[in-house]
Amino acid sequence: MAKPLDVVIVGGGTSGWMSAAALVGVLKPNICRVRLIESDEIGIVGVGEATLPQMRDFNEAIGIIEPEMMAASNATFKLGIDFRDWGFKGSRYNHPFGKHGQPLSGVAFHHHWVKARQNGHAFDLDDFSYPIVACRTNRFEFPAKDPKVINATYSYAYQFDAHLYSKYLRGFAEARGVVRTEGMVVDVTRDGESGNVASVTLKSGEVVAGDLFIDCSGFRSLLMGQTLEVPFEDWSKWLPCDRAWAVPCERSEDFHPYTRSTAREGGWQWRIPLQHRTGNGYCFSSSFISEDEAHATLLANLDGKAQADPRMLRFKAGRRTHSWFKNCIGIGLASGFLEPLESTSIYLVQVAVMNLIRLFPRVPFDPVLAAEFNRLVDVEYDRVRDFLILHYHANSRDDSELWRYTRNMEVPDSLKHKLKIFKHRGHIEAYKDGLFAPSSWLAVLVGQGVVPDGYERLADNMEFTDLIGRMEELRGRIQTRVDAMPSHDDFVRDYCPSPSAVTAPPARVEVGA
Amino acid sequence: MSRPVNTVVVVGRDAAAWLTAFGLRYAFGRTGVAVTVVELPSMLSPVDVYPSLPTLGGLHGLLGVDEREAVAACAGVYCLGQRFANWSGGSAPFVHAYDTQPIGLNNVSLLQYWVKARGEGLAIAFDDFSLGATMAKQGRIELDADVSDSFSRPAHGYQFDAVAYVAMIKQRALRAGVTVMAGGVGAVKVEGERITSITLADGRTVEADLFVDASGAEAVLMRHMPGDGFESWSRWLACDRMLTASGQRLDPLPAYAQIAAFQAGWIGLYPLQDRTAIVACYDSGKLSDGEMLNTLPVLTGMRLQGEAVASALAPGYRPRPWIGNCVAIGETAVALEPLDAVSLHIVQTGLSHLISFFPVDADHMLEAGVYNAGLARHAENIRDFQIAHYRLNQRRDEPFWDRAREMSLPPTLDYKMQLFSARGAVALYDDEAFQASNWASIFIGHGLMPRAYDPLVDMLAHDDQVMQLKRMLSFIAQEVKAMPALESQLRPAQPRTNALY
Repeated sequence: MAKPLDVVIVGGGTSGWMSAAALVGVLKPNICRVRLIESDEIGIVGVGEATLPQMRDFNEAIGIIEPEMMAASNATFKLGIDFRDWGFKGSRYNHPFGKHGQPLSGVAFHHHWVKARQNGHAFDLDDFSYPIVACRTNRFEFPAKDPKVINATYSYAYQFDAHLYSKYLRGFAEARGVVRTEGMVVDVTRDGESGNVASVTLKSGEVVAGDLFIDCSGFRSLLMGQTLEVPFEDWSKWLPCDRAWAVPCERSEDFHPYTRSTAREGGWQWRIPLQHRTGNGYCFSSSFISEDEAHATLLANLDGKAQADPRMLRFKAGRRTHSWFKNCIGIGLASGFLEPLESTSIYLVQVAVMNLIRLFPRVPFDPVLAAEFNRLVDVEYDRVRDFLILHYHANSRDDSELWRYTRNMEVPDSLKHKLKIFKHRGHIEAYKDGLFAPSSWLAVLVGQGVVPDGYERLADNMEFTDLIGRMEELRGRIQTRVDAMPSHDDFVRDYCPSPSAVTAPPARVEVGA
Repeated sequence: MSRPVNTVVVVGRDAAAWLTAFGLRYAFGRTGVAVTVVELPSMLSPVDVYPSLPTLGGLHGLLGVDEREAVAACAGVYCLGQRFANWSGGSAPFVHAYDTQPIGLNNVSLLQYWVKARGEGLAIAFDDFSLGATMAKQGRIELDADVSDSFSRPAHGYQFDAVAYVAMIKQRALRAGVTVMAGGVGAVKVEGERITSITLADGRTVEADLFVDASGAEAVLMRHMPGDGFESWSRWLACDRMLTASGQRLDPLPAYAQIAAFQAGWIGLYPLQDRTAIVACYDSGKLSDGEMLNTLPVLTGMRLQGEAVASALAPGYRPRPWIGNCVAIGETAVALEPLDAVSLHIVQTGLSHLISFFPVDADHMLEAGVYNAGLARHAENIRDFQIAHYRLNQRRDEPFWDRAREMSLPPTLDYKMQLFSARGAVALYDDEAFQASNWASIFIGHGLMPRAYDPLVDMLAHDDQVMQLKRMLSFIAQEVKAMPALESQLRPAQPRTNALY
């Protein structure tokens, strides 16, 4: 048996503690020993407060107990994202964690939906998504286990205070042997021959050596960027948002099991309800709107009293050309950034950590394993990128320069082809690796106003009256089952109450719905 | 306003033409699509065979072709995998079985435990841990096995007598309403990227919204399309001749096809109910057709029955198998040697893509782009699988094989092999016909051993690792012992009839 590798994680935060917790949660001490260096002097970014359902696999894989974690991080449930004013002002759609309808005669549901629409039955696609219908009246419960029932057709994720989540993970990781060292990294030493990172030196003078280094230093990208000079691929021409103001406000009545994203003149505003407060932010492009304007817009659009002054975050969309270079792996912002529009930040951390575990090396640097790691991470980044660009590109807003720019910009060929074939015949390619599944593309494409001109011919094998009957029956079955669900508020209070939870007025009906 | 496709003309022959016509008619007949086959003279002879992968059973299911009936009608035999012999110098043959990936332990694949145990002296072959391979070796098969709680799910392909198979599919296609016109194709009238009509040898003119070229290497229609081209893969797949023959029935019937390498290529023995089909693929630079025919009885230990037919092999593909309103299917789109029983699979892939992407507008077939990209990825992955056999051979001092060991690989395969040697992990791309367990099976079988095993293996105590491996072996032994012999699963063959042909 080989000797265990010494892993040094530079930086805490969500990515640092997720990496630490996963390594010790999955790997035994005979495989790796983990040390994490973080400094209290450095603030934590923590933009991502909403997650994707894959997060549950992560928590399960490393052994986290859901209600405990949720209570500790003031978490709520998330069934999707409510997009307002994106396609055009006044438009509204939901990107749910679930499929729309079910295949009929072996053909995906949306082809039938297109056919019905072309023949005088303009159904609302959202009516066929169980989680969307549940979102309309702020309801939640766990999906059923029996895959045949209608309330098994969805999944869920969390909305939480990322800072509290990392604190929770820190406790989890330290209890399993991760050694935390408080300190600032002031110097990095490389091995002259291999070019590997040999050690980091702390402000205190302590030298920390290791076999494998994980760079979780955030945008500073201390090891990947500053030391190893791995180039950064800039994607801001497609994703021009480069700033965000973030501010918490008091919890209000509208305790929804989803994240809200409202398009604004220079970007978009998020609203994330937690147990003790509501998280808000305005993600914008400084090329199209000033910081002051964005600041004012955000504060004018809160539905509760602000609990602090807005904090400013600066970023740039893109990624490093290598996520694993030499004996160093960049995880989180140190390796790339994509705006939190689809809550992918924590997912990308998760993908990196789980792939690292799957390809965990025996020696500090194995170029073949690193190449495979990079291939898998790159696929994820490319596909999330295209999906995000879609939100900006497929719009018909004419009220500001940002939306005109993104509508007219050249998009990556991969996205261009996708749009073309979807428009032509509703086809969405499913891939082996990476986000997003066809059901997600469908929700956003249709939501942004891209409706297919044609549908799969196989759909014509079904009698039209039979089709309409089946669609109406399905729509009714969803509504009936949703009506029997408990409210999100009751469910959270019962399942994972946080000691710091704030009780909101018992409103069940969404404000402004 | 879009105009639907209501008429399809398939120009071609044999399985590619008839499966396609049947499939299209079956899928779209009720929606008003008329399918006509312009049938070219068959290239099959009575000695021909169609070996197939398990996916064909899935297609048959969709087309309402009962598995047992098909086997009975075509002298068919179930096939659990392929046994590779003489590829790797002195090392033992192995069976590439069509199992699903065996469940690992602690989310780590079985292979990783085996690699470690082998390093510690375990002398049991990797394929002994495959349920399918063990069934194949013992000639046992359970068609309706409830293996839901089993740790791997064996799947079976088939061998069919080719002439009988085409007769069966043709009969069903005609019954489903496919119409047929005989005779060669004379002129093909193309306007822009569009075939407007074809003229048959007898002067009749045929028009259609969509044309399918299933004529094989001839590419009767495709070669008239602007922008058509064929890219050869012969730098990796050097066999350029194929000889098909027939020998006596094997007794007992093996539940696998035997693929044996020899000095200038390989020879496949495909058990059928009434004979053994023999297919040799070889390099004409090393061996003439006559020499091949003369050595065949020696190499196979079989007395040949009936005729033997030699034909050309030219591996490669059309980067644009769909241009305008003309779609290539089968060998016209992707030409590969029959190694790994892929020929019908390629027809099937084209057909299923064409059904999925059946054009919604007869005047704007934007589906071509998706079809072309998907088929190319699919074909390249299968090609890589075939090349891997050649590349990993250990036959020394034979120019054909020495060259195959030294050739430079397509980057996709090179990458796969490097990752596998480093770690026993399989990099799967989009559109793979063969899954991780298939790749691992042939890599290990041909002797590509991972340098290191996954450290996660050591999460399990050493004694537990050994115990789990032993448990698997005894589980497999028990399961297989309880299964019936292959022969008892075959209905008596019906008298063969070529009346429809």
